[in-house]
Amino acid sequence: MTDPLRIPRRFADEIVQHCITGRPNEACGMVGLLDGEVVKVFRMTNAAGSPLRYSLEPREQLAVENTLAEKGWEGAPFHSHTRTEAYPSPTDVRLAVGDIPYLIVSVAQEPAQIKAFLIVKENWEDETGDIEEVPVEITG
Amino acid sequence: MAVEVKIPTVFRKFTGNEATVELEPGTIADLIDQLGSRYPGLKEQLLAGDGELHRYVNVYVNDEDARYLEKLDTNVGEGDTVSLLPSVAGGA
Repeated sequence: MTDPLRIPRRFADEIVQHCITGRPNEACGMVGLLDGEVVKVFRMTNAAGSPLRYSLEPREQLAVENTLAEKGWEGAPFHSHTRTEAYPSPTDVRLAVGDIPYLIVSVAQEPAQIKAFLIVKENWEDETGDIEEVPVEITG
Repeated sequence: MAVEVKIPTVFRKFTGNEATVELEPGTIADLIDQLGSRYPGLKEQLLAGDGELHRYVNVYVNDEDARYLEKLDTNVGEGDTVSLLPSVAGGA
């Protein structure tokens, strides 16, 4: 059983708000994690600017990674699904790059739902992989 | 003084969770070779089959994108900082 990923309520609200504001496009960003708990939300630009695709804006990502390294936090990306459930799409799996939790926020329903998944691939160029859900606990 | 290489979360499983690594100055190709010999498996994450930078990897030297410098031939000197960033993308 994978350890749960804990998201304090105020950060969950911030993630959902960013995803709602981004509609009709997908919204994205990263969270800083310390011992499995979200300690910071980085709202970022979707460089793909699309309702169906997202890509973290590279310069913003560089700045966020620098902050993560400075603070000693781990990073995990989040993105929204505006019309579908919070579950990795084939595109999400195809483009997944590592053993980090991917947070997916479905704003297709009310209330929005945040789930997290590990996408396990032998090689990150593989088109397919195994999807393991990481339990998400909204705390506080 | 060495070159500081920043390792993002996705690659830290190769570096024993180290977030920064110090290497000897050289080209980006040299640095990737050093990383590969110190951390087995990491080089394969950074280079594609044709030996060029993987298209999903962005390398920054002092916050400049190496693709717009001299790519793998970009010289990195003492005191420079290199960041390795996977492109994070997907979609519904």
